[in-house]
Amino acid sequence: MAHLAIERLTKVYERGKVRALTDVSFEVNRGEFLVLIGLSGSGKSTLLRCVNRLVEPTSGRVVLDGTDVTRLSSRSLRQTRRRIGMVFQQFNLVKRSSVLANVLAGRLGYVSTVRALLGRFPREDLERARRALERVGLVEKMHARADELSGGQQQRVGIARALMQEPELLLADEPVSALDPATSHSIMQYLEQMNRQDGVTVLASLHFLSLARRYGTRIIALKDGRMVFDGPPSAIDNAKFKEIYGEDAEEVEVR
Amino acid sequence: MSGRFAHARRRLLSFFLDWLAWAYLLYAGFSIHYIRTSPTLIWRPEEKFVLPELDPWGWILVAVLTVELALLCRAFGVSLGQRAHGVVLASADGNPQVGFSQRVLYFFTSHVALATLGLPLWLRPDRPWHERLAGVALVPRARGAPRVRPWWLSTYVLMALALVGVTVALGWLVTDIQIRTLVQDVGKPIRLWRGLSRPDLSYLFVPHPLEVDSIFGALVKSLFMALLATVVGAAVAFPLSFLGARNIMASTQVGRVVYAVTRGLFNVFRSIESIFWASIFAIWVGFGPFAGTIALFLHTIAALGKLYSEQVEHIDPGPVEAATAAGGNGLQVIKQAVVPQILPPFLAFTLYRWDINLRMATVVGFVGGGGIGLLLRNFKEGLEWTQVGAVVVVFALTVWILDFASGWVRERIT
Repeated sequence: MAHLAIERLTKVYERGKVRALTDVSFEVNRGEFLVLIGLSGSGKSTLLRCVNRLVEPTSGRVVLDGTDVTRLSSRSLRQTRRRIGMVFQQFNLVKRSSVLANVLAGRLGYVSTVRALLGRFPREDLERARRALERVGLVEKMHARADELSGGQQQRVGIARALMQEPELLLADEPVSALDPATSHSIMQYLEQMNRQDGVTVLASLHFLSLARRYGTRIIALKDGRMVFDGPPSAIDNAKFKEIYGEDAEEVEVR
Repeated sequence: MSGRFAHARRRLLSFFLDWLAWAYLLYAGFSIHYIRTSPTLIWRPEEKFVLPELDPWGWILVAVLTVELALLCRAFGVSLGQRAHGVVLASADGNPQVGFSQRVLYFFTSHVALATLGLPLWLRPDRPWHERLAGVALVPRARGAPRVRPWWLSTYVLMALALVGVTVALGWLVTDIQIRTLVQDVGKPIRLWRGLSRPDLSYLFVPHPLEVDSIFGALVKSLFMALLATVVGAAVAFPLSFLGARNIMASTQVGRVVYAVTRGLFNVFRSIESIFWASIFAIWVGFGPFAGTIALFLHTIAALGKLYSEQVEHIDPGPVEAATAAGGNGLQVIKQAVVPQILPPFLAFTLYRWDINLRMATVVGFVGGGGIGLLLRNFKEGLEWTQVGAVVVVFALTVWILDFASGWVRERIT
């Protein structure tokens, strides 16, 4: 059985009646590194957010390991969200809070409300946070304020926060588009490491086709909310590229 | 409003604005004339002022005059209404230079459009024929387009200046401003000046024989009134502020109702000044600092609640998204992602509110809220100006010190 199945997913935003996604269906196997590509506004972000229901789909189903995520009650939805890590384009850290506090936010789904309100996380979680930060090489920045870090470092904190959930699925929404090319590769390598070493299924949207080719085991392309390509990176030739990005597009390499 | 009729709307609204502006100018001019020539000293606006007495033909004359003036402005310059709605007159091919004869023609064809109740506008909202006939078009004003005339000769600037000038002149008469009296009678409150310049501090720590509190004692009462009202008010306003924040509440129908009710209550309580509350509570719980504290407290909740809510609405939504994605529930997300973002501004607002409350405490004391305001009132009514001077000096010094201190703290936390 597929790890994640998207079935006829459609999203219409009420305001302005924008059709962000139209009838998108595909399956993702455990351990795949699936890359979503497409122009800005093609529906990549919406698709990722429909998986953990940060955005409510209008119709269609999202099935994770046999459970229909779209039909979960809010309580079981929170339980399911614990298994789905997420990394964001703008990192989404609380800038005034410490790195540690930001990383611990990844455990919110596991701790009681009282503990969260008092800010008293269990000792194991603190230990887990230290390991996560060690893994992204930021353990010495643990007590620094998040906004003192560089963009690449902030995204590594974002990855550490996702690691705290010990996820089986990772959603990465344009994780490197706010970063320079060199930093982009270092961030992508952390995602690749999670994918290969921990067996986490990764769903990442990327702007650059060259990054998608380099890290993806499979590519899905969206155009105006519809799926226009699904296959291995090698299958995207020049003609396919023009179809996805438009006639005038030129491929840009990120080295 | 979109599509074709957006054009008609712009034309209509800008015309009405011009018309209203001229009507107001005439009306205000008439009022100034009326006040200046009024034989009585008692001014009764409701009698002749609200609606001037004019013959029926006089009204018609006024209506025609205002319309003509408005149309003149529109044809021979950028009128106030055109400027406000971002349109200018251009020739039919879009050239910003419009010839004089075209302008005259437009002035006359506009009359036809007006006489037919805007018929050309309803037929062709985007290109009415009274404009086509004159070979002109009202087009959106290009940003950064070169000026035809210097700003101080533009019709809309002159019009705006006239509106401001007439309003100030009318206000001057209505509020009965007399500069000469202000200067001439400077010596009238001479005993007051003398008292204020020689404050008698002998009752600073010892109560005046007719008073319960010494100046210092009353000051301490006022300080605590302000402090208590601020601290307890902030504690109540804090949880309420989330209910009054659109981004937190607007996800459900119930939430939107709660949001609207909370914001509505904030606005109602904020618009009722502490001084009214103090008058009410002085009767309810008796004169004294208790009444004053409740009065300040109620106003503080509403004022801080609104400021806090707006701050909650301006947070970065990213962390909220991240905490939600990690499986946090509502309270957890607020604690983890919202509170750290709003705490410093909340503290700054609260300190600022303490400043305000201390100053308000005097006013509130005047109407029965106790503290230093009460002392001030009693001294003033007893005509003990040296005591009044002492209270004013001590209070001003306290406010100045606290202002300085809270400003220093606020600078450091934000």
